[in-house]
Amino acid sequence: MDISKYAALFLAESREHLSTCNQLLLRWEREPAATEPVSGLFRSIHTIKGMGATMGFTGVAELAHRTESLLDALRQNLIGTDAGTFELLFRAVDALGRAVEEAAAGREGPSDMALAAALERAIGEQAGVPGDPSPASEAAAHRRRSTDVPRARAVQVTIRADAVMRGARAILAVRRAEVLGVIAGLRPSFVQLEREEFDGRFGFRIESRASEEELVAAIRSAGEVDSVRFEEAAPTDTPGERHRQIRVDLARLDRLMKQVGELVVAKNRLGVMAAGGDDPALTELSDRIGRLVSGMQGEVIASRMTPVGEVFERFPRLVRDLSRDLGKRIRFDVEGEEIELDRSILDEIGDPLLHLIRNAADHGIEPPEARVRAGKPPEGRILLAATRDRNSVTLRVADDGRGIDRAAILAKARREGQADAASETLSDDLLLRVIARPGFSTAEAVSGVSGRGVGVDVAMTRVRALGGTLEIRSEAGKGTTFVIRVPLTLAIVRALLADAGGERYAVPLAYVAETVEFDPRAITALRSREALVVREQVIPTVHLRDLVANGRRPVPARRPTVILEVGERRTALVVDALLGQQDIVVAPFDAPRGMPPYVGGATILADGAPALVLDAAALL
Amino acid sequence: MSHTVLVCDDAIFMRTMISDILAQAGFEVVGEAESGSQAVERYRALKPDLVTMDIVMPDMGGIEAVREICKTDPEAKILMCSAMGQQALVVEAIQAGAKDFVVKPFQPSRVLEAVQRVLG
Repeated sequence: MDISKYAALFLAESREHLSTCNQLLLRWEREPAATEPVSGLFRSIHTIKGMGATMGFTGVAELAHRTESLLDALRQNLIGTDAGTFELLFRAVDALGRAVEEAAAGREGPSDMALAAALERAIGEQAGVPGDPSPASEAAAHRRRSTDVPRARAVQVTIRADAVMRGARAILAVRRAEVLGVIAGLRPSFVQLEREEFDGRFGFRIESRASEEELVAAIRSAGEVDSVRFEEAAPTDTPGERHRQIRVDLARLDRLMKQVGELVVAKNRLGVMAAGGDDPALTELSDRIGRLVSGMQGEVIASRMTPVGEVFERFPRLVRDLSRDLGKRIRFDVEGEEIELDRSILDEIGDPLLHLIRNAADHGIEPPEARVRAGKPPEGRILLAATRDRNSVTLRVADDGRGIDRAAILAKARREGQADAASETLSDDLLLRVIARPGFSTAEAVSGVSGRGVGVDVAMTRVRALGGTLEIRSEAGKGTTFVIRVPLTLAIVRALLADAGGERYAVPLAYVAETVEFDPRAITALRSREALVVREQVIPTVHLRDLVANGRRPVPARRPTVILEVGERRTALVVDALLGQQDIVVAPFDAPRGMPPYVGGATILADGAPALVLDAAALL
Repeated sequence: MSHTVLVCDDAIFMRTMISDILAQAGFEVVGEAESGSQAVERYRALKPDLVTMDIVMPDMGGIEAVREICKTDPEAKILMCSAMGQQALVVEAIQAGAKDFVVKPFQPSRVLEAVQRVLG
């Protein structure tokens, strides 16, 4: 049997299992008393061992076997966990990841002897401890453990129904219990409690030496507590509904998407033809095909949609390792993992996020002592949150760290002529422009902002390439937030068609705030640029026909103006005429040399003619 | 001996009301403060058994004051007095070290219950 054709599958499945391992390890480290992480880890590593052995990848199989043996001993409570155990397991999972990648690429490297020895030692050191003759049953081990060491219990608390601010009351109860032990697995989450998104009941696990009576008394001392119940620590994993799934190569979905794109163009042309003739049968058929193609387009896009959680899941580990290396305490929270994005965008968004998160941990969050001096809790917080808007997804990386020293950046911007010598304040826009400049780095930066821009230029470039935008908000002492906005999907976008000097241009609708009539009397000047007053707001104008140097035709008397909006920035784009909306398929665009930056791509319109797609962000 | 209390609120009305409730229950109101910085200063001078602390005050807010007080005296017994809809601030105050909270409009019985719990 030819095994090699399974290599891709081996790689994909192993990666999934290793990713699961990382998550389970993080959880286990947080909640050492929990029993399910070790079982889950054991299962995943065992599966990798089996697959590796079948593929003939002995390096993978051996390393997995050693790791599995250690997990087995831990699972049976033959040995206990400490900080070193987790470090070792993290190392093993990392090494296994490398071994899997190398093996699948056909070059099995030398095995890590030091790691193998460390795994052996960890098992050997404690195996055969006196009074521990045989692999006792898990239950027995559990009982033995719970006599003199902290014992894990699940607690269910109900706050009185007539209490006010039940969320804050619940948090107070948690704080009271915390005095007696280590708390984990708070459900609903802290954030949900804070917003009172619960019905008065909440639960957590606590590892404590205290008796149940002492725990009840502590929790009740928070006041307004209706009941406190103890439960057997039940596994938190609920067997989620399993959808039947198959794996499809992404390249195949890409081809399918491209074909649907062509189909959309053909459908649009058919619509134009049907509208031009007077054949009712053709019109009906055209409408029908139109609906079918729209439905199909929706399904294909949906099949490419992937939860952002797939990219987010590697970050908790990253932040954990970073905070350890940097000697900081950082809580990392993730929100909106279930929000979906087109796979091709998702693949591209990981790197920008990585840079921004690393920046937040490295330069945003202060060391614990500095935070305490500033009157903040010693533990910093980084939030990675996804939210879905109509046609786009917003990703936020927010830290509660020291923020950016605007005075220093402003001084720098002045020196380099990016800001007027007279300007006293630095807008968020200009701040971003300065720090996102390639090469803005430690060497030339003023103290306190060192290295802050490293990676921001990379993030900026990648996000812009996706047709997205990047914004920054920063407040000294309070923290910094980066906001990435990307379209839901790349391939097909709804666009507004506009005419300038007899040529047609497409403007993605996602960035169109509104359209207004151009009124020459409303012209004013904004920092020596022409601007337009629209409902008391001054918006800089761009004349598309000047931009494209296509002014041969006479300027029409009435000119519509498209108000473009990216984040909080606006530009008024003056065009000759508006030609309606259309779904367009943006062709990947290898920009020829000299192509102006405001051209984001090209497309074929419904009548078969090509048109340029404008990049809204570049017009601002 | 009765317990001593420091009442912190920027509104005279609220200070009077809280003082009355506590005095009637046999507590001794030893001082009042109308800002966070005053609260910190008086706490240090008076060393009261209990502090009632408004959240929103001029100059220095109540949460900031809790932080300042707990910095030197982590065992300080501080009861937050919050208006409706300030749950996030109450949570912040708890994180900062406040021991309990009551929500305006006050019911004397609830205030006293909370005071008993804090002095517990």
